[in-house]
Amino acid sequence: MQAHDFTLLDQNGIHWTLSEHLDTARIVVFLRGDW
Amino acid sequence: MSDRYGAITGAGGRIVCISVDSPLRNAALINKLKLPFPLLSDPDRSGAIEPYGAADTTDKRNIARPATFVIAPDREVVFSAMSRDYADRTQEEAAVAALVELDLSPTTAEPLDIGPAEPGPSAMIVETMEAYFRGAMYAVRAMTGRHPSVADDAADFIAQMNRYVKLSKELSEDG
Repeated sequence: MQAHDFTLLDQNGIHWTLSEHLDTARIVVFLRGDW
Repeated sequence: MSDRYGAITGAGGRIVCISVDSPLRNAALINKLKLPFPLLSDPDRSGAIEPYGAADTTDKRNIARPATFVIAPDREVVFSAMSRDYADRTQEEAAVAALVELDLSPTTAEPLDIGPAEPGPSAMIVETMEAYFRGAMYAVRAMTGRHPSVADDAADFIAQMNRYVKLSKELSEDG
């Protein structure tokens, strides 16, 4: 299955796109959020 | 997973995390936990959380539920694990094993710039985290005595809390 590509803002408010960061494998981790 | 990052980069992988929190809050969380990887913001869950099936539909705050995916450089998903709730372990060992199976060249942690940061109003401070995880561990241990049928789940949770207690202590001591 091909991973859904996405673009989101990183911690500095800069766009981060999955397909531009696959020079290595990526472990994508979803978190519940701030605590 | 940050404590396993050496093994992950050694196997040719890097981490990216995603939550509904703002970039300012994510920057604060990176600072607090000394995370060595980026943390992305998906506030309405439409960018990645919902497409990956990681929306928590039971929580009124419209957050994500813990989930882990390993994506190969050709964008193939080679591992996925979805937690039932926040008490579930995120199968980190299995994710790292799937990464190792890809047999990639080692890499290094990416440079991580952190700009302005602002923790949320309910964010826990580092100094209280050890006691929090220790309390959760003891409570689950006591409840397991009353309800032996959940012993397997409880053992996983207690192991996770033990690890978090250790990490929290290290963070607190590092200042």
